[in-house]
Amino acid sequence: MAATPGGFSGKALRVDLSTGKISVQDTIDHYGDLLGGTGLGYRVLWEEVPAGTGPFDLANKLVFATGVLAGTGVPCNGRTAVTTIFPTCWPKPLVASGHMGGQFAAKLKYAGYDAVIIEGRAEHPVWLFIRDARVELRDARHLWGTGIRRTSLEISQEMGANCVVAAIGQAGEKLAPMAIVANSLSHSAGGVGGVMGSKNLKAVGVQGSGAVRIAGDKSEWEKLIKFHLSILGGNNQQVVPSFPSPQSEYYNPRSRWVGEPGKRWGAAEPPIEITGDIYDLNRIAYRTNNAAFFLGDGAWKHTVRGNGCTACPIRCHTIIKVPAVAARYGIREMAQNTCAGLNFGRAFFRRLPGGMKGQTALEACMVGMHLADDLGLWCNYGQLQRDFKKLYYGGLLRAKLGSDEYASIPWDKYEAGDPASLFDILPRIGQRRGELGQVLSQGTSGLFTQWSIPEESWSLDRDTLYWKMGHPKHHANEDDGQCGVIINTQYNRDAQCHSHTNFVRNGLPLNVQKKLAAEIWGSPDSVDGVGDYTPMNVHKARRARWSLVRKELHDGLGLCNWMGPWVASPLKSRGYRGDDSLESKLCSLATGRKVDREELDRIGERIFTLHRALTIRDMGLLDMRTQHDQVPRWVFEDPSGAPPFSKGTIRMDQADIAKAMDLFYEIMGWDKATGAPTQEAYSRLGLTDVGKSLKAQKLVPGNPA
Amino acid sequence: MKHGDYLEIIRLAASAAGMEVTLSRRGFLLLSACAVASLSAFGLREALGGEAPLVILDNSKGMILADPSRCVGCQRCELACTEFNDGRAQPSQARIKIDRAMNFGPEGPTGGPAMQGTWGNGLVVQGVCRQCPHPVPCDTACPQDAIQADPKTGARVVDTERCVGCRLCQRACPWDMITFDEERQKASKCFLCHGKPKCVEACPAGALRFVPWRDITREGLPGGAAQSVLSAAKAKVCLECHAPAQKKPSAH
Repeated sequence: MAATPGGFSGKALRVDLSTGKISVQDTIDHYGDLLGGTGLGYRVLWEEVPAGTGPFDLANKLVFATGVLAGTGVPCNGRTAVTTIFPTCWPKPLVASGHMGGQFAAKLKYAGYDAVIIEGRAEHPVWLFIRDARVELRDARHLWGTGIRRTSLEISQEMGANCVVAAIGQAGEKLAPMAIVANSLSHSAGGVGGVMGSKNLKAVGVQGSGAVRIAGDKSEWEKLIKFHLSILGGNNQQVVPSFPSPQSEYYNPRSRWVGEPGKRWGAAEPPIEITGDIYDLNRIAYRTNNAAFFLGDGAWKHTVRGNGCTACPIRCHTIIKVPAVAARYGIREMAQNTCAGLNFGRAFFRRLPGGMKGQTALEACMVGMHLADDLGLWCNYGQLQRDFKKLYYGGLLRAKLGSDEYASIPWDKYEAGDPASLFDILPRIGQRRGELGQVLSQGTSGLFTQWSIPEESWSLDRDTLYWKMGHPKHHANEDDGQCGVIINTQYNRDAQCHSHTNFVRNGLPLNVQKKLAAEIWGSPDSVDGVGDYTPMNVHKARRARWSLVRKELHDGLGLCNWMGPWVASPLKSRGYRGDDSLESKLCSLATGRKVDREELDRIGERIFTLHRALTIRDMGLLDMRTQHDQVPRWVFEDPSGAPPFSKGTIRMDQADIAKAMDLFYEIMGWDKATGAPTQEAYSRLGLTDVGKSLKAQKLVPGNPA
Repeated sequence: MKHGDYLEIIRLAASAAGMEVTLSRRGFLLLSACAVASLSAFGLREALGGEAPLVILDNSKGMILADPSRCVGCQRCELACTEFNDGRAQPSQARIKIDRAMNFGPEGPTGGPAMQGTWGNGLVVQGVCRQCPHPVPCDTACPQDAIQADPKTGARVVDTERCVGCRLCQRACPWDMITFDEERQKASKCFLCHGKPKCVEACPAGALRFVPWRDITREGLPGGAAQSVLSAAKAKVCLECHAPAQKKPSAH
């Protein structure tokens, strides 16, 4: 297989752990129409994993797939989708992906692969060694039982300092559905760690010395990359700063662009003061400090620097140094993570001395990162912590746990907000010890199946933020009204889509957003103010579709949907416009194959529709509308009784959401009654084979086979 | 000189530099310091002749200065270096080096308290070419005189026409800054992008600066740049300017 002109590596590794056979497969021929990422993963599952396969069954496969632009200098690439039959999906395991950043995607591309497909189960623990063309399964018995940090260190000693290691901790080894695989220590993909554990695969180590070629003219490429940089905002593509600045027409206190001149990376040696032009492209890395965003101004003095994925100038993994924790808890004084990972420890507590942004809160975050990122424990977007609090404060833990076990947990410390209590609680869950560990490590579904707690007691309670199928909401009506609701109905885990929220939360005033929205989605009415929603219209459905399509497209390209799409920018000179065709321009130049926005979006839609087809096949049901695309009860309620569409409420109206789903299905070319794609929809997207196969199973609307 | 002679020089110089055995950096420097004497003792100076021209390179006009405490480990500099110059994203071929020290620092994954890098104290020490003054170690080591000063910037650049891929420059660089392109079998190094370094432009944290070149070897701690590999042909010519070392007179 010759080198591809650019973008793609053109090869996937296929590793059969049962037989030890390692083979190389062409990706462009077989998966090229799906780019890579989730698309490649869904295709492998569609073709090779029979319906009804459980997550830990021998027949389940685990697909690490990155995308066309991963490993290049395109800002905000570096994503790997890990697709499999997902263990936290309830009541029936279905397809889903965990997504990780870090260095894994780029290194895999430099080693020469777009994807690694893991099959079977090894006889004893192994790890996968990938150094360019040299690929081996190596004994991991000495690593079994160790945490992610030690595993990564030992493999780095064996392979060389510049390898990347994606490893599971004890949670994955114990087949906890709530387990992660993490590369570069803190970049995790949730839910898939147990699947690795079930295959006796402790880790994947990758070293790559090769290239990702850029097919197009290199000066054109340079120009485009610089343009892309110029339209970047801060984390989540928030394009206005959180602080007033003489340089900026607007500011928005909710923005993640918190790097105000005068702030300091106080724990850098020597400390670094942010100076100069806030738009300077040689200062982009100072815009984002997620420790300060989530933990408040006090985190600045603990900031060592920003860290993050290969090639990304937005350093959303903030490295913080808190010397007090070394003495107080005997843990490393430095830690790094972003968003939910950063908040892991703090989120277990209802209250903490000094408040949720105080010193104790910071220490709870440090302890949480130390434990969770080593045990390899997942939080399910904060659901673990919300479940824990509800179970404890609602008296359910006292009722469900044996009295000895209950008494063995230091509840007084926990209630007092002592982060040290996490040293007792988290290992129980991560190592699946006792009833508490067994049940909570299964995720929310464990409560329903093991403790017979009815799902309604979660879906009626808005404080749980529970959505459906064992998972919480993820940027739903609290961010984006009906658009958020539609998006949250579509996946088998929490929706990993940020296309919509990255626009509505970009910090620009509504009138500017509406102006841009009119250009992108055909009407200013496609966007509402956050918490000031208007009834559903077709333009919102169009934007929901665009959001989902771009999410899958980004996964297929290896781009970060936590940053993209880039349809707004900080540039007043551009009227704050970004570029809706950016992905296609990047893809065309990288691969040398001209592809326009419409064609690329069609690929995104193809990937998304394949996910739908897999879900239909594995549920064995045509009626997605009532059986899958559910909305929890709390969405239709307001704590103070405010009616839907009144300013300040995120309450939705049931009939209006029904209309939203109608419009969405219609715009997707799906059947309105069932929410299932029609044969025409499959055919239009080049998925005729998929449609035919489903038709034979009577899973396509219309005339039965 | 015939082609065969070149190969012979390379072989001998390589042998003198101890390339067949794995050496620690210190061991390598000690051994290469002996290279001139060894070659002389074996009478190689005579055998090799003095016809190889010795170019004393003017100082570079500029160099890249890196601040490790600002480096955010994104590798955008490595990617800008290879993508914008070579049309391929390939950190292993970058002429600025981040990847090798990113996770654990120059000492590697020791796990010890002094460990640098993202997984140690957070510090990423960038590898940049110093554009050394005469005697430029990589150029001096090159039996082909393939490393020359760019007339515009003074950057020490590899002439790929002349480079025969012997890797002596790679061994000679005290900072391990020579890149070797396995595909083309040619050495490559930082050439300051003809005066507008792509890496400096690409750094999102202002951790890299392009500054006028200045010799600070006598301003800092003792034990600065060391002469490393000296090819046989060069060794003889050096003696034309540098008198053989005399025993230093006592200060008292």
